[in-house]
Amino acid sequence: MDDVLTETVPAEELKKFEKAYHEQLYKQDVTPKAQFEYAWCLVRSKYPADIKKGIFLLQELFRTHEEGQRDYLYYLAIGNARIKQYTEALKYVRSFLNIEPGNSQVIALETTIKAKMDKEGLMGMAVAGGVVLAIGAAVGLGISILNKKS
Amino acid sequence: MEDDILTTLKILIIGESGVGKSSLLLRFTDDNFDPEQTLTIGVDFKTKRLNIDGNNVKLAIWDTAGQERFRTLTPSYYRDAQGAILVYDVCNYATFSKLETWLNELETYSTKRNIVKMVVANKIDMENREVSRDEGLHFAKKYKTLFIEASAKTRDGVQSAFEELVQQIIQTPDLWDSYSLGNNVSLGNKDHPAHTSQCSGYCNLV
Ligand SMILES: Nc1nc2c(ncn2[C@@H]2O[C@H](COP(=O)(O)OP(=O)(O)O)[C@@H](O)[C@H]2O)c(=O)[nH]1
Ligand SMILES: [Mg+2]
Repeated sequence: MDDVLTETVPAEELKKFEKAYHEQLYKQDVTPKAQFEYAWCLVRSKYPADIKKGIFLLQELFRTHEEGQRDYLYYLAIGNARIKQYTEALKYVRSFLNIEPGNSQVIALETTIKAKMDKEGLMGMAVAGGVVLAIGAAVGLGISILNKKS
Repeated sequence: MEDDILTTLKILIIGESGVGKSSLLLRFTDDNFDPEQTLTIGVDFKTKRLNIDGNNVKLAIWDTAGQERFRTLTPSYYRDAQGAILVYDVCNYATFSKLETWLNELETYSTKRNIVKMVVANKIDMENREVSRDEGLHFAKKYKTLFIEASAKTRDGVQSAFEELVQQIIQTPDLWDSYSLGNNVSLGNKDHPAHTSQCSGYCNLV
């Protein structure tokens, strides 16, 4: 059964939103909406290269479009988890929960990610990574994290 | 444990933002209610096991945000769903008026033509009602959907909403029989809805 980490976007949807994004890109007038819709499709692709591209676009949005930051953090966590960058994914989850501690949707995502790591025998790594994360989270919302990456 | 499951069903919850979709789901899966339920991001997901007439069924429930900025992409989650719960808020007439749009979207994007639909009139615990029970019933009759009034806050109707939806799906074997055999088989079925089950259960209820 599919869950948020395994369901995939229909190919024709991805194409549709890719086209819309590129049309705006060509006119050098990309709206956050078009970029988000394309990125949301990309992180649901079955191809890791697409997911990585989606993560890149979401990071850019996160820096430039404050209004949607909550959405971008959530899909950054999903994108990273889908390419097995679990430590990174949990970083975004924790950044989110720092701002909205009780959010059940994000807590559920955290559980799903950890269950997946458990299954793949990666739990030890998560614990080791967690120490670093806690420090990163204390600095505040993911901006520091993002800068470190780019 | 896993092998005594008859089937896994995909259920959607759609409707305007704020009508109580996530609250109905939380009540159903965790028997809980949060007066400060946070806004759903994009599409959320929960699972729940249900026993219907002695059969164990696993539900994979996709809860959509309903907010404008997520609208364009939500339909890409409709694929292969066997059941849909359409929610409106009885204290907000506009959310009832929008139901037809949601139904149209479902018709357009769902891949199973005989997908079972349940209209849920939520928040009946509140005083300032704007949509009467009769109006809701009339809508459900017109569009041949199941109908129930509910309150995520007081539990009223919540369990029944899911149970009756699942019961109706189970009584439509075309919807789920071949599901476990893989997508190819179920895709082949979409053009052959079960004629016998088009109306029977719906009409009884409405
Ligand atoms: N009184 C009352 N409030 C409800 C009920 N269902 C949901 N709410 C409240 O309505 C608001 C929106 O609910 P939510 O589940 O987030 O709606 P969604 O956007 O459709 O998912 C929240 O503040 C809930 O606590 C209900 O049955 N009765
Ligand atoms: Mg919601």
